[in-house]
Amino acid sequence: MPEIFIDDKRYEFEGSPVLLQFLLDVGLDHPFFCYHPSLSIPANCRQCYVEVGTPVPNRETGDYELDENGERVIRFFPKLMPACKMEASDGMVVKTHRSSELVKRGHKDVLEFILMNHPLDCPICDQAGECPLQIQTYKYGPEGSRFEHKKVHKPKRIKLGPRVILDAERCINCTRCVRFTEEISQTHQLAIISRGDKNYPATAPGREFDDPYSLNTVDICPVGALTSSDFRFKARVWEMNQTPSIDVTNGKGANIDIWTRDNLVMRITPRFNPNVNDYWMPDFGRDDYRRMNENRISRPEVKVDDTRIKSSWHNAVLTFNEYLSGVNNKEILGIGSAFSSVEDNYALNKLLNRIGVSELVFTPNIEEGSGDGFLISDDKYPNTNGCRLLGLKEMNPAGLNKAISAASVKVVVMMEDDLVGRSVVTAEDLKDKKVIYFGSNNNETSKLADLVVPITCSAEHTASYVNVDGRIQRTIPAKETLYTNRKLNLEMSVGRLDRYATKYDNWSSDDNRIDCVPAWEFIENAAEQSGQPFNFADARDVFEDLSKSIDAFSGITYERMDDELGVVIAGSEKQKVTSA
Amino acid sequence: MSTDWKSFQPLLIPKIPNLHKIDVYEKNGGYKTLKDILTSKDHTPESVTNTVKAANLRGRGGAGFNAGLKWSFMPKPDGGPRYIAANGDESEPGTFKDRQIFEYNPHQFIEGSIIAGYAMDITAVYVYIRGEYRSWINMFQKAVDDAYAKGYLGKNICNSGFDLDMYVHSGAGAYICGEESSLMESLEGKRGYPRVKPPFPAQKGLWGRPTTINNIETLANVPLIMKNGSEWYTSIGAKTHPGPVLYGISGHVNKPGVYEYPTGMLISDLINEVCGGMRGGKKVKAVIPGGSSTPPLRGDQLDGVRMDADSLREAGSMMGTAGMVIMDEDTDMVDVLWRISHFYHHESCGQCTPCRDGTGFLEKTLIKIKNGEGETRDLDLLLDLCTQIEGRTICALADAAAWPVRYTITRFREDFEKRVKKSAFALA
Repeated sequence: MPEIFIDDKRYEFEGSPVLLQFLLDVGLDHPFFCYHPSLSIPANCRQCYVEVGTPVPNRETGDYELDENGERVIRFFPKLMPACKMEASDGMVVKTHRSSELVKRGHKDVLEFILMNHPLDCPICDQAGECPLQIQTYKYGPEGSRFEHKKVHKPKRIKLGPRVILDAERCINCTRCVRFTEEISQTHQLAIISRGDKNYPATAPGREFDDPYSLNTVDICPVGALTSSDFRFKARVWEMNQTPSIDVTNGKGANIDIWTRDNLVMRITPRFNPNVNDYWMPDFGRDDYRRMNENRISRPEVKVDDTRIKSSWHNAVLTFNEYLSGVNNKEILGIGSAFSSVEDNYALNKLLNRIGVSELVFTPNIEEGSGDGFLISDDKYPNTNGCRLLGLKEMNPAGLNKAISAASVKVVVMMEDDLVGRSVVTAEDLKDKKVIYFGSNNNETSKLADLVVPITCSAEHTASYVNVDGRIQRTIPAKETLYTNRKLNLEMSVGRLDRYATKYDNWSSDDNRIDCVPAWEFIENAAEQSGQPFNFADARDVFEDLSKSIDAFSGITYERMDDELGVVIAGSEKQKVTSA
Repeated sequence: MSTDWKSFQPLLIPKIPNLHKIDVYEKNGGYKTLKDILTSKDHTPESVTNTVKAANLRGRGGAGFNAGLKWSFMPKPDGGPRYIAANGDESEPGTFKDRQIFEYNPHQFIEGSIIAGYAMDITAVYVYIRGEYRSWINMFQKAVDDAYAKGYLGKNICNSGFDLDMYVHSGAGAYICGEESSLMESLEGKRGYPRVKPPFPAQKGLWGRPTTINNIETLANVPLIMKNGSEWYTSIGAKTHPGPVLYGISGHVNKPGVYEYPTGMLISDLINEVCGGMRGGKKVKAVIPGGSSTPPLRGDQLDGVRMDADSLREAGSMMGTAGMVIMDEDTDMVDVLWRISHFYHHESCGQCTPCRDGTGFLEKTLIKIKNGEGETRDLDLLLDLCTQIEGRTICALADAAAWPVRYTITRFREDFEKRVKKSAFALA
């Protein structure tokens, strides 16, 4: 296997990796700004200098030249080379700042230049705490600056587009944002304008940066130059918890991190998954934090004499069982939801099956032609394939409407899906029927329900979703509900080192907790109340149960989903998402 | 020097009235060499390349690389398009020679381009001309139109079956676009950012296709070589750097201008004989031999220094574009250096950090010294900054910005020390 010597230590490699990436992959910290693994390599920041030499081949023997001591003769490049523009080659010798004073000096020199015109106001900069420039200055920068002149002033607070604001003074011209719009989103909306130290990225005159992926430029900006107009100055990085999760606004299921503070979701950023979304996500997925925070249903609600009142959980369970047992099982219609998780649909289906109700029906929410073939799919719900694999009965909206409005149906049990808001059914259709609605947010459908069961949203539970490509991925709870806490619920965030907070940790908070439970838990409570518990203690039990009873899910576990970055369910990729 | 410069007859811009008109050019033997090459069986693309290589025609754009050797780097034709980008951006302060070719002898350059095109199986030649040269662009466009009308450009040139197009492209006022890779970016309609090499232009140039970039003056030399042979050419001027050169001389001399002489001229001859001596009989203080980026030479160290690559390297400078700036003893080198640094600060494209911010640092420190607020340590700082800038960027502009600073300070330190206060402490 080809070998490379970095700081006198031997490493092996395959193929011809980019030297900088190889350094990072073997765990050697190295400073850089403009390089990004998913973008082209411009080598313009000049931060990742190394000394590089290659052995001298002997043309006659085909071997390498040796010196008098029998050591290989190494021919070094006469200048410092940017590691991002070098490819590892067999026998290459690399000196980083660990072994070369010249490289160390090179890193300092470039940082001195970058900081020369960069505002030194980290305390009021939104990027502080997650700023590559700040981090690398501490690690590799000069102790002070010799620059005693006026800095270059550039425009600040430029609204590039509806979601992105530019502070040109902070910009270090790494061109990551420009390359993103050229190579990834391909809208070509940004370009560097002006020249020399007056450079900064901008849109063409009169144009907006309204790229549907524009906020990714904020993520990859290595300084505080690009900020999200929605998130800026709302929270400090170190105040938030970062929890890996899945985007549920879309059939693609982009991998995300949910950032919470005091049980409020502050922002959503993409998480790297080469099989799904790489480093990116669409802008509207980030807006989903509003759904997680606002307009939530807290505590069950029941309708008594046409008035909606808050109820206790105990009463809600009793009411639920009363509705189901009060009618003939042929008069009950269970409606699943492609918006809800595999576990929730499965639990409801299992309960209703047991009392003799046939499979849940569901209707996908697909807007043909609204996808872009990248990370925005036609399918607006995250779990359409999951419902199919569970064996739920797929119907088109008209079919579902017919099924609901049939006179024989007396009780409708709905998993979270705003069928009224989606105009699948009308208030008229639901008249004279008992409607049980499992939902996390108030909407048109929950308004009409006779019993509303508040359930956790994707930021509060562990649950799995099968995306449009048949990949099953799971969420991890990022914020607490009223009856869970971080310490007891082991599925909780792994964002902070001190993640299992006690009440005495000053960052742990009781604020903003919603009084809701996962849908499967309510169903378990109902089953237990009727004397036949399923014995589901947590979401793992539900998933274990369904992976045993449904072939498609057999052999799949949460551990596999975590380790393999989601598992493609055999055969499911052939299931075409259609509007039926 | 094998030829006597005093009897030298200009070859690049011969003294023939109205030579820029295609009829006059043809009457004086123009395009005959081209016809010979295209129609006779003795010439193949390889033989043309080899002749130019043997003539040791060194690029006139600054780097002085053997043009024939550069041509031979082009890969074998694969049926796809291949390009020449002729560099007439000419923005280096002190350089003003290519425009004389556009004005007085454009057809010799066109003929040279076609021969080069034939040698490398080129599809099209892009002539990139400095945007400020508006009238010269118009003049040259007229010459190209005439050449098309006479069938020297376009399809089936001289009934040889060889096709070649020539396009005139105007720059937009950026010095950096004279750098070969940003010239290509600019031609492609992009921002003039130099490209990282490798890949070299011969592998992946314009639109990802093999491309050779030559200076205008370099290509204008090609018909001479093909007409008279490489031996004749190497007999002109300095041995290792032969041929006629357009010296663009400016500054404090009595008769500044563009003069054509062989390479290897004594700088003292150029000043005293060619340009009629220094203005007011003053002493020479400094000579910038090849455009503002080349290190200046001291006036008292010019003895025996000749204008060719080897002699100038020995003296501590470079041939560059042979755009000489002569300065007399009244010149303040601090002001000169500030003006040069201001230019590089203004023209840095801003792609690489050391140049983008370093040039500004240099200029601001020089302004401080110029205003009498500098200290001795600032001189050391400037030299230190040069080390931080040189050789640390994608293109050579950073070197071009740092060299004048380094060599002006080291060679004219007394001028700087007069302007600065003594530092209370030395810079670490």
